[in-house]
Amino acid sequence: MQTTDDARLVERLKARDDAALETLISHYEGKVFGLALRVTGNRPDAEEVLQDVFWRVLQHIDSFRGESKLSSWIYRITANTALEKVRKRPKTRDLPLAEELGPAMTEDGRIAEPVMDWTRLPHDELEQKELAQRLEEAIAQLPPDYRTVFVLRDIEGLSTEEGAEVLDLSVAALKTRLHRARLFLRKQLTDYVSARHPALNPPNPGRPDAHMS
Amino acid sequence: MLTCRDVGQLLQDYVEGALEAPVRQRLDEHLADCPGCLAFIKTYKHTIAISKDLRCKDIPPELQRKLRSFIKDKLGQPDA
Repeated sequence: MQTTDDARLVERLKARDDAALETLISHYEGKVFGLALRVTGNRPDAEEVLQDVFWRVLQHIDSFRGESKLSSWIYRITANTALEKVRKRPKTRDLPLAEELGPAMTEDGRIAEPVMDWTRLPHDELEQKELAQRLEEAIAQLPPDYRTVFVLRDIEGLSTEEGAEVLDLSVAALKTRLHRARLFLRKQLTDYVSARHPALNPPNPGRPDAHMS
Repeated sequence: MLTCRDVGQLLQDYVEGALEAPVRQRLDEHLADCPGCLAFIKTYKHTIAISKDLRCKDIPPELQRKLRSFIKDKLGQPDA
């Protein structure tokens, strides 16, 4: 359901109020551009999506009935417009299975390799920037459907239910994609930190028969 | 006693606070005794935490201008 503020803004937009148009744009341009940039992966496409989204919103505002939140509706138009662009490109690889994105396990279900804890990083501002940069690169490697879920949920901060509504997915399907995206990103960051800071690698637990991979 | 594989399957609900109290308690007991799972959960949570900082708050001023002028032009067209 839409909020009272949403309802008022929509009514003013339907009445072609210029100030309402500016309110709409200034409130949503960052959200739309942020999602568009990450889903398409390049600025020229993201700029086109940004313009198309606001134009589509204005074209269809008269038929907006307020059955969902205004933000959900705008995110949905943004995700669809950005994914349309991406789907015209050659298909990307799918993600490995969740089990392959975690540590190796023994047959009886115990972790069979040392796991690095890099959460005390970054030590300084430069490392913070490098880690954020590495995260951006890893997000760009996610298949578009996973990337869209991850950006909406973990970057834009939508709830699981709102993300599922925006993408027309079941909550279970959204959670599965989100989890695999997070596992993939965690692994990419771990590999990066492990190469940069070998001293942080924990000692081998000393079970030479434990490795499965 | 939960295995590390069980922890992997409960991980997402654990970090989102969606586990029933008794299951959560069993998982906490496992973590107290398993540095591998603890490190894995901590880095999973940290990945989520640093992702929040990537949110785009403002778009560049020239892009703001371009967007507004695009919309204004479109609205000015006879078929708009």
